Amino acid sequence: MADTVPDNLPNEPKHVEAKAVILLIVIGALIVAFFLYVMYARGVFEKTQQLVLVTDNSEGVIPGMDMSFAGFPIGRVRQVDLGQDGKVNILVDIPKKDAKWLRTTSVFTLESSVVGQTRLRAYSGILTDPPLPDKAQRPVLRGDAAAEIPRLLSTARTLLENLQNMTQEGSAIANTLDNVQTFSGRLTGKYGVLGTALGGDEEAQKLLQTLQRVDAILAKTDQRVFGKNGVMDDTQAAVRQLNGVLTDARQTLQKVDAVLVEAQAVGANAKVATQDLGRLRGEVDASLRKVNRLVDEINRKWPFKRDEEIKLP
Amino acid sequence: MITSLIYLKPRDWGVRLGRWLASWWGMLHLGAIALVMAMSPSTWHRANRLATSNYIYASTWAVLPWFTLLTALVSLVIIRIVLVTAQSYGLSGFALEMMVRVLVLELLPLSAALFAALRASMAFDAGAMGLAARGVEPGDAQEATLRRVRRDLVPQVIANAFSVLSLAMVSSVIVLVLAYLNVYGLSPWGLSDYTRTVGRVFDPTVTLGFIFKTVLFGLAVAVIPSAAILDMLRHRRRHRSNVQPGALRLLFVLLLIEASSLAVKYI
Repeated sequence: MADTVPDNLPNEPKHVEAKAVILLIVIGALIVAFFLYVMYARGVFEKTQQLVLVTDNSEGVIPGMDMSFAGFPIGRVRQVDLGQDGKVNILVDIPKKDAKWLRTTSVFTLESSVVGQTRLRAYSGILTDPPLPDKAQRPVLRGDAAAEIPRLLSTARTLLENLQNMTQEGSAIANTLDNVQTFSGRLTGKYGVLGTALGGDEEAQKLLQTLQRVDAILAKTDQRVFGKNGVMDDTQAAVRQLNGVLTDARQTLQKVDAVLVEAQAVGANAKVATQDLGRLRGEVDASLRKVNRLVDEINRKWPFKRDEEIKLP
Repeated sequence: MITSLIYLKPRDWGVRLGRWLASWWGMLHLGAIALVMAMSPSTWHRANRLATSNYIYASTWAVLPWFTLLTALVSLVIIRIVLVTAQSYGLSGFALEMMVRVLVLELLPLSAALFAALRASMAFDAGAMGLAARGVEPGDAQEATLRRVRRDLVPQVIANAFSVLSLAMVSSVIVLVLAYLNVYGLSPWGLSDYTRTVGRVFDPTVTLGFIFKTVLFGLAVAVIPSAAILDMLRHRRRHRSNVQPGALRLLFVLLLIEASSLAVKYI
């Protein structure tokens, strides 16, 4: 191992230095190309915009995982951190060329299946909505099939226990079924539904006797009410008499009506007479004022007029 | 080391332990010296360049085609097995990622390191070996060998490290192409999907770990056997075993690097 090159190599390959340089260059270029390819594959040269997805549990989310839209990866998770409010912030880098698929109304989901990795998906229902802005913050909906299993098992166990309780001896359902059986037995008995409803054949028999009595009473009542010289005949006679009384009363009222018409005419005459009295009074007042003025005039002009001079002492 | 302690008297345990630690330290020291000398421009005079070219030619140019062919064949078999199995379980979406992770990141660098070590052991210097086998024989011949080992140390270390790196890189690229062809065929439409998967696997940590591991493999393959021979010559010890000096230590170090890499990545 230590030394394969003697001082003077008798069989030294031709152009060994050039070959070594070629090899160095080729391998160097290969390493550089590999690095560039890996950087390209990781999206280092792509212009991206950021999206912050907020959720309450980051289980299954790892940096580097894809976010897909319609099955195509359009973004990559860059960082997952815990915010001040205890919520998980998932930073997703979305290349600018793929950002057109995300709109302001897009919905983001995080789905954990029983087998396989967690998937981050985006759904855009209306592609004509405004595009999602850079550094937008959106909630992410979680769908966890694995988390549902314990709950499902618990519910199924409760359900089975309930079923067992329902079907065991002495349970409510068993008693109900017994009662149903008794009920159906009674239905096929002598008194059928009546006996079942009343709780026994004796009660049904009593009810039937009562019904027969009621029937007899009804027959008698019919005879007394609607039979010959029954209550209805008397009532009809009374109604006829009442009709005659009413006719008389109507005639009397017509007479009263005529009296009232006459009284109304008297009233109208009295009103006219009252108006004439007013005018007469006016005329009497005017005649009295004239007589009064005449008396005053005679008093002034007459020699017996009073001396109106006032003599001072 | 542990088993050899059983056959020793307890009073010699300390001496043996000290020697063991000294040999490890010598190995690390030699590696550091080789790196420093490789970095200093004064090392690269005409004779050294020629020696390095010779070693690179022998360790890489001559073996690269055969190694690449061999790894391509073996990888093709593994790729088919993984792909068919994954498809039968309906998990073909994970097949590509698994192939890249298992083959490119783990198996190929380790294979390249083992292959380089194997080739180096075949080119094991019969002169030095014979000298070491004769044991303590001070003289001009031994001194000359020691001098030659020291002189050729840096070119050899560089050539071996480069060999591991280039074997691993070339075979990795070939396997990446083979994986694509197996999964998508000759169609170019799977390229974006494939690129995305490769990008997902090679995150910065994994990429740096891959390069770091390959470089460490190269250094281990280059330094450990040389250090073992130098140690043997320096202490004028007799080489009792038939295996190459330092082979077990090299294997141990390679496994240690691989295990550490796995632990860092997946634990």
